[in-house]
Amino acid sequence: MRLSTPTRRRGRSPLFAVPTLATAVLLLSSGLVKAQTPAVEPQTPEALIAGPPATSDPWERLNRQTYALNASLDRAVFAPITHGYRRAAPTPVQRGLSSLVSNFREPRTVLNGLVQGRPGLAGRSAGRFVVNSTAGLFGLIDVATPLGLEAGQADFGQTLGRYGIGPGPYLIIPVLGPHNVRDAIGRVVDTMTDPVGLALGGLGTTFGISRLVASGLDYRVKADAALVALDDATDPYATMRSAYGQYTAGLVREASGDREELPDFDDPASPN
Amino acid sequence: MTSFSRRSICRALATVPLLSATLVSRALAQASQGRNPQAERFVQAQAQRILTVLADKRLSESDKRRAFRQAIDEVVDVPRVTGFVLGKYSRAILPGQRQAFAVAFRDYAEGVYQSRLGDYHGETLKVVGSLVRKPGDVVVNTTIIGGKISAPLQVGWRVIAAADGWRVIDVQVKGVWLAITQQQDFVSTIDNAGGDVGVLTAQLQRDAVRGDRR
Repeated sequence: MRLSTPTRRRGRSPLFAVPTLATAVLLLSSGLVKAQTPAVEPQTPEALIAGPPATSDPWERLNRQTYALNASLDRAVFAPITHGYRRAAPTPVQRGLSSLVSNFREPRTVLNGLVQGRPGLAGRSAGRFVVNSTAGLFGLIDVATPLGLEAGQADFGQTLGRYGIGPGPYLIIPVLGPHNVRDAIGRVVDTMTDPVGLALGGLGTTFGISRLVASGLDYRVKADAALVALDDATDPYATMRSAYGQYTAGLVREASGDREELPDFDDPASPN
Repeated sequence: MTSFSRRSICRALATVPLLSATLVSRALAQASQGRNPQAERFVQAQAQRILTVLADKRLSESDKRRAFRQAIDEVVDVPRVTGFVLGKYSRAILPGQRQAFAVAFRDYAEGVYQSRLGDYHGETLKVVGSLVRKPGDVVVNTTIIGGKISAPLQVGWRVIAAADGWRVIDVQVKGVWLAITQQQDFVSTIDNAGGDVGVLTAQLQRDAVRGDRR
């Protein structure tokens, strides 16, 4: 991942460049793409004023150091590889790789969809996996979406959130980037229970390593625009933390159906 | 089948249309309470207007800049957003500091636009629904397609009713509200400067100059 340094860079405001930065913020969380559940009306006026809870960051000092480390690593390794790949690989190749990576995630979505009590999502993902793995040449071509089987996403971090487990402290993991404790645990569980990994081989196999490299490359490509936008924040670390916290909260709301709380703009102190 | 049971069935069948009509009208009433057509029309027209201005290849860069600035003034509640992004410091800031920050924030924001003129390629926006949070406070959900967007992009627009019409105060993409994110960015910057808003203002001023040079 190419990350900005924790010190400030050029400043830019998101609100005044909505379409571009909207795309960028979206891509910040790329690879976990799913339509956002529409906001719903809060039950009480207090809910409006309460605003979204600020992300808990008791390890901020360490996190900022890890962020700086990741930024350096990204500048030296991941960004050049990503940009080289984007220049060299034709668009159909990039799309094919992205579809393939997404297809391998479908069984995980099926499992978590079932555990979350979302049979519709699980069924759709199962259908996508069958269709794309056969007619779509092992997932290289997404033939399921035009058939009405739209992509969904579920992971174990979301599942924990669905059942009321809070996000816990913010945590930046070397190389892997922003997490919270809940999603870090979820990531481990997803890896250990991944049906594709169990069936075709995990990190100890050529398939597993190839899949990891392909997933990482696809993630980094999708995150590129967002990371450029992140460079423009006055405090990129805080911006990433905020965006990550809101994004994961949105995923949990999507699974739980909980209502979204928003701050009152006439009480701007509320979200902090 | 007895005549009694036939009459019961006929009565039951007769109630179906009535029941259906009642349920449908109730559902429609609930739906209309949840949506706000005026806010939806505002977003459809004004958000698309901004996209169109940005993608208009017939306009010179200076004309585009001017048209964009005018559109922002008419569409976004700039003073309210300017206060909001200061977060907890909004209450403590002195009038002179607020004025300096407002100017710097505005210039900085325009710097964003100026450096990204080439990013717009004829995207189109379609309103897909809205949700009234409270009277005069609505989230309008849209989908943006076309241009260089490979998959439909879901974007939410939070609008409020001002004295002279609707105004945008925040925009959401994939669960991330941009003004909220901006606020947490700015507040963190001020926190790290020991609570000195002037440090953020100076930083924005430098960024604006840098943006002009880009």
